[in-house]
Amino acid sequence: MARTISYREAVNEALRQEMERDGSVIIMGEDNAGGAGSPGEDDAWGGVLGVTKGLQQRFPGRVLDTPISESAFVGAAVGAATRGLRPVAELMFIDFMGVCFDQIFNQAAKFRYMFGGKAVTPVVVRTMYGAGLNAAAQHSQCLYPLFTHIPGLKVVLPSSPYEAKGLLIQAIRDNDPVIFCEHKALYDMTGEVPEDSYTIPFGEADVVRDGDDVTIVALGRMVSVAEEAAAELARQDVQAEIIDPRTTSPLDRDTILESVENTGRLVVVDEATPRCGMAADISALVAQEAFGALRAPIEMVTAPHTPVPFAQPLEQLYIPDTQKVANAVKKTLDWKK
Amino acid sequence: MTAVGIVANPASGRDIRRLVSGASVFPTAEKASMVRRMLTALGSVGVETVLVSVDLGGISAAVLRGVRNRAAKETPWPHVRFVDDDAVTDSAQDTANAVRRMVAAGAKVIICLGGDGTARVATAALLAGPGCDVPLLSLSTGTNNAFPQMREATVAGLAAGLVATGAVDHGIATTRAHALEVRTGQRTALGLVDVAVSTEPYVGSRALWHPDALTELYCTFAEPDATGLSSIAGLLCPSPRDEPGGVAVRLCPAEQAPTVINAPIAPGLVLPVGVVAWRPLRTGELVEIGTTRGVVSFDGERELELVGTTGATVRLAEDGPLCVDVTAVMSQAARAGLFRSDRPVV
Amino acid sequence: MTPTQPAKATSGLDQKALLEAYRTMRTIREFEERLHLEFATGEIPGFVHLYAGEEASATAVCAHLDERDSIASTHRGHGHCIAKGVDVKEMMAEIYGRVTGSCRGKGGSMHIADLSKGMLGANGIVGGGPPLICGTALAAKHQGTGGVGVAFFGDGASNQGTTLEALNLASVWNLPAIFVAENNGYAEATAATWSVACDNIADRAVGFGMPGVIVDGFDFFAVYEAAGEAIERAREGGGPTLIEVKFTRYYGHFEGDQQTYRADEVARARASLDCLKQFRERVTASGRLDTAALDGVDGEVAGLIEAAVAEAKQAPVPTAHDLTTDVYVTY
Repeated sequence: MARTISYREAVNEALRQEMERDGSVIIMGEDNAGGAGSPGEDDAWGGVLGVTKGLQQRFPGRVLDTPISESAFVGAAVGAATRGLRPVAELMFIDFMGVCFDQIFNQAAKFRYMFGGKAVTPVVVRTMYGAGLNAAAQHSQCLYPLFTHIPGLKVVLPSSPYEAKGLLIQAIRDNDPVIFCEHKALYDMTGEVPEDSYTIPFGEADVVRDGDDVTIVALGRMVSVAEEAAAELARQDVQAEIIDPRTTSPLDRDTILESVENTGRLVVVDEATPRCGMAADISALVAQEAFGALRAPIEMVTAPHTPVPFAQPLEQLYIPDTQKVANAVKKTLDWKK
Repeated sequence: MTAVGIVANPASGRDIRRLVSGASVFPTAEKASMVRRMLTALGSVGVETVLVSVDLGGISAAVLRGVRNRAAKETPWPHVRFVDDDAVTDSAQDTANAVRRMVAAGAKVIICLGGDGTARVATAALLAGPGCDVPLLSLSTGTNNAFPQMREATVAGLAAGLVATGAVDHGIATTRAHALEVRTGQRTALGLVDVAVSTEPYVGSRALWHPDALTELYCTFAEPDATGLSSIAGLLCPSPRDEPGGVAVRLCPAEQAPTVINAPIAPGLVLPVGVVAWRPLRTGELVEIGTTRGVVSFDGERELELVGTTGATVRLAEDGPLCVDVTAVMSQAARAGLFRSDRPVV
Repeated sequence: MTPTQPAKATSGLDQKALLEAYRTMRTIREFEERLHLEFATGEIPGFVHLYAGEEASATAVCAHLDERDSIASTHRGHGHCIAKGVDVKEMMAEIYGRVTGSCRGKGGSMHIADLSKGMLGANGIVGGGPPLICGTALAAKHQGTGGVGVAFFGDGASNQGTTLEALNLASVWNLPAIFVAENNGYAEATAATWSVACDNIADRAVGFGMPGVIVDGFDFFAVYEAAGEAIERAREGGGPTLIEVKFTRYYGHFEGDQQTYRADEVARARASLDCLKQFRERVTASGRLDTAALDGVDGEVAGLIEAAVAEAKQAPVPTAHDLTTDVYVTY
């Protein structure tokens, strides 16, 4: 039975249900319990934004607080995954990848190939990304394109509570290393989520909204921005089809291409910076594979090529919004040869 | 020129006893600080030159930095000469080489920083050559120190300096320690505190911490407040350091033994040791070791593998190293007012 | 009189165990010496880092390990692989880039692995292994197997943040992890006496709340004792240990290194410190093994390496099909 819970609760529930189901699932990260060695509560924080709250009490010994040593504990999660555990490591902010990237991209990602197909590394790195909380340049980035670039990693961007739960359960059960990216501004988003355990397969995009006039591919938090824009456009009699790829690696190319074949127009909305990102990647895919169907140049709505600013007006300008998406759609509609 | 030699072993205090018994770690930085404090002390009593051993472990490098950075307002140090005539081998050979060079260069006292093992190597180097009458001041920076003393380096430096300059007479300042001499085939080796025989087959990681493997123990002296193998005898039949005789003990696994001594055989290890018999060991007495297979350890470190072909003997020799008695030196200095100056108060 | 001593003590090494230890060390030596020659012919692709001179470390540590245990290695990893039981012929084929290799020709010298043997791979990243070993040790602890994880790393990696973080985490989590710092004196061409600020890597253990010991890496028995004590302690829940093994490598950082930064320490080591030479002398002098038995092993090992090279050279290379397989379990 579905009921309405938050994105945060959906992540927590996925972890809880998988930990109940499978004793080899352990979680670790800075303050995942919160309170290790402190005089107060053992489970004081449950993660810096309370996502793992309550798990420590329910699964004693399986929620590990760590020192602030991302290389060591992300590496430990990777190592443990090679020996029969299914660890979920929390990299508090995706921006901290800089202090542990080697363990992810040179170790976890490459074991299977480098060792001739004999390695299985079922590790999940949960991490928080995105702007919107005035967390400034080192705590607000959308760095999933960097992970998507690496063969051997799977990269997941849930855009709703429903996706957060189903994709996380899939990530934990998946036998490859998964980078699970949670948008920090979505934690309080609510939505219908089934109580029972379920999985959403990787590489299968969700067609969030049907439409024949334009295809909007939106990632993560941008899905809801695209939905608002589409609602606005609908009032102007423009029917946009919205595609949420859910995973950037693997990427559901077919759903995107089929949609563009039908609409002839593509707008890609991504909160990440524009160079070498998903917007450019998806645009290139469509330009290469569906060039004949295009009736207008592809539009990309992204953040500018700058670090994430701190001040509120600047951050608001930085993040793609409904108006920018609507404008981009109109541009594709207005284009004349 | 009055010269003193300082040999500091970079490897002391690093062996397996850190693991098996939680023994202390003596940091390189502290060894270097000890040398620097000694330089201050030696300078203050008129020593002109200090010969310092060279190592790749960072001690001599830190001392060199100290020499270069010495501020003009600080107590002047003696001239420091690093003894770098021989290539560094990163082994006990470095200690032996340095001691020989220092004696040849006219050092009046050798200060040795290390554990029992380092003191033993330094002693062997002194006794084998013209240095047999050069006094040794052995300071503890090792693991299991029955022979070297735990003392503040400044005071040790003052005492060594007073002996070197002749301000305190050798007769008062030094005592001749005994030593245990082991011979097997052509080889002779020296123990300062104890020589033990064990059924361990190999030298291995050197330290000895399985008491059940012990079969024989010989001690030059046995103090009840010692750590190490000599504590077995020390707790059974104490034999003071300044008396001529030693102790011989026969050992076996604790569960087969008529007598069991709970002894601190290494820092952090108080274990039952099986004793079969014990007796005084007379000076000069030659004892045949009761096995041709096993390992002979010196001051708690396995050194010599007996491989079944040649036997071995132990003898308690009177002519061990000439040791500086820091307490005696400083007492005499006090009596003679060497650190005192009086002037009329207006 | 039968002394009661734990099996991990050197006195527990019977003839069979001694001969096995010798066989492992000899296999590593023969493997590396042969690669040195073969590399010079230009037939071996890529980079090769030889472990010759360091055999006692891998052999004596791994002699205490079983299927519960895992190891992480370094770019100089052939010795660790052999000591942990990776198939020698498959290793040789891998180094030649053949499809019959341990990793089907996709890894090469720097990535030989056999996870079924608990060998997590040689590692091209200096300091890559210690965090992984925190994980395998955590898995062993969580599963209650009594297993341990052993991270071999060099003096170079001792200065990597990953290694220092892993040492700390292993202590904080009280993991059954052993950190074996193989100090061969040089990180590439840079002397450890220069690059390791505290000179002894083992001294760093104090700062991480674990025992740190130094052993003579040329002496199999010394390494065997220290590793045995550390591993037993870890199995019993006593936590991690840092063991610094000191020795020198017989060849350059990689094959082709002219080694102009070095003095004559290799000649000295080969002449008087060599682990194989020492081992032979000591076990034969004491009558525990006879020369004929040791020579017999030498002959068998020479035959094995000869066959491994011959088979590797004959083996097929991977094909276009292999280029894109084995990236994911499913995708």
